[in-house]
Amino acid sequence: MTYAEAVADGIWAAGTARVGYIPSVSVAPVVNSLVATDGGADGVSPRVTPLSREEEAIGVMGAVAFTGELGAVVMQDNGFGNALTALTTFTLSYHLPLLVFANTRGSLGEYNSMIHSISQPVPALLRTAGLPVVELDRRSSAEDWRDTVKEAGVHAVMTYRPVVVLGSFWNTDGKAA
Amino acid sequence: MKRIEALQALADLTGHPVVVTCAATSRELASVKDSDNHLYLLDAMGLVGSVATGLALSLDTSAPKVVGIEGDGSLLMNPNVLPTGGYLAPDNLLLVLLDNGVYGSTGDLPTYSSRIDLGRLAAAVGWTTRSTATVDGLKTAFGELLTVRGPAFLHARIEAGNAQGIEKLLIDPVTITDRFTRWLREVHASAVAA
Repeated sequence: MTYAEAVADGIWAAGTARVGYIPSVSVAPVVNSLVATDGGADGVSPRVTPLSREEEAIGVMGAVAFTGELGAVVMQDNGFGNALTALTTFTLSYHLPLLVFANTRGSLGEYNSMIHSISQPVPALLRTAGLPVVELDRRSSAEDWRDTVKEAGVHAVMTYRPVVVLGSFWNTDGKAA
Repeated sequence: MKRIEALQALADLTGHPVVVTCAATSRELASVKDSDNHLYLLDAMGLVGSVATGLALSLDTSAPKVVGIEGDGSLLMNPNVLPTGGYLAPDNLLLVLLDNGVYGSTGDLPTYSSRIDLGRLAAAVGWTTRSTATVDGLKTAFGELLTVRGPAFLHARIEAGNAQGIEKLLIDPVTITDRFTRWLREVHASAVAA
């Protein structure tokens, strides 16, 4: 099992009903795995769909919770600047479970000097806003990533709140940036 | 047509899941009819189309269409809801745009809608559209769009200005979640998860 497959497995294992994604080269293998296991192809399946912006993804997938199901968003961490108002004024304030998995940029293995400016403070930004954050990197096995992502989804449902999992693919089998 | 007149008409027409934009629009809708099927977005400006799309995708088609009530300033804050809705194309989505050409809750500063036809924008990305500027036209167009499969967009031109004497909608959003989800479960049990 690759790390990308582990993330996808964890998302489904959490009981996720629907996934929206915003593309990133690092999460593309996650999306491909989600789509493949859902019987789709070319980035689209019955339960996995592309979305155009992170705040939109929070709105579309956050709304899944009103029907008693869990939605998930797969994205890159530099999009949290776009998503923060929706995360706080919608999902957090309305007590809506939502699983967000984001690959991280701006740390080890990063080639883009500018992206540090948003990605480095993301965990602190999210925690300051009251969002639970779980961080994963090379020190954990793919199996541990799977179990953690699954449990993060379960935690979101149990706590009626969005939960963010940040995954650094550097020095795993995945692409770092 | 004033906004509150449009909202009165929509309140009379909707036993649907209704997602409504923040500030004056939510307040005025609640003042004419506060109902469990109303999901007021008290902040999160620009998110009505996204939330309505997510609901439409998640609900069984046995449920009534999801109706989003949006303003022009709010839509222009997140206009990508239009291509997203057109692409994902849920059968059961009806977005009503109350377009007064200004940011009505923030000093009546102008939006782009005096020069940009938001109905044409919606049509260009796959929505079935109707336009009106009267209450009777709103009722007729709403009825027509209920019969449409796929995303539907009702572009209603309204007068600028907020209704006077309307109380602020001071309600904990989690209360809205609770009553809206309970309403969905109780009224449309077959359309939501057990």
